[in-house]
Amino acid sequence: MAPASKPRPRASPELIAALRAGKSELRRERETLDLREKVRLVLELQRCILPLLRRRRRLTAWERPWQITP
Amino acid sequence: MASFADTLRVLNDMKASGVVEEYAVAGAMAIAFWSEPIPTFDLDVLVFLPAVSSQILSLAPLYEWAKAKGYASKSEHVTIEGVPVQFLPAHSPLADEAVEQAATLRYEDVPVRVVRPEYLVALYLEPGARTAKRRERAAALMESRTLDRRKVEDLLRRFRLEP
Repeated sequence: MAPASKPRPRASPELIAALRAGKSELRRERETLDLREKVRLVLELQRCILPLLRRRRRLTAWERPWQITP
Repeated sequence: MASFADTLRVLNDMKASGVVEEYAVAGAMAIAFWSEPIPTFDLDVLVFLPAVSSQILSLAPLYEWAKAKGYASKSEHVTIEGVPVQFLPAHSPLADEAVEQAATLRYEDVPVRVVRPEYLVALYLEPGARTAKRRERAAALMESRTLDRRKVEDLLRRFRLEP
């Protein structure tokens, strides 16, 4: 039987709501970026995610950062 | 170095030259058009292939066109101007409608047909396509301001899809 964990102070519902609202706000900001900027971010994400994927599994032939400009 | 616009220009050329009858960008890049950018390594393109006498559709003519243009094909992807593109023949009445109703957006100076977000959600919820990743993408799109929830409900009802 796992020992009962020590009671910890929790964030208030207001703080959690504010954090979630902040996330939504960021998402909305990213939604309104111009398309070229979004493609630039996709290219950046590809470079970020590739090492993580490579550690998890064998990559397919097409899973490479695109050699293009936005 | 090629740009993303070059890839989109080729899609339009493919339609103009009859290699595909119609096309619409789908998948993660379509989400990027409507919502926030998410990681992806390929460009999914739903297509109507030209009518042939056989009842069985084949992508062979498309791959032959790609080869003639010098675009390499591997693992069902054609690398067009640096971007691996997967051409997906519309597989259902919902996919047909998604292509027909696609929006024409502009990327730089290039017009590009993109599956509307409501159809993307419905396509992600099709039986056989409901992986955890697709459900997650559908859920994220549902939060998008660009999405018309009533249209999604209509699609789910008409195509008998589970939310």
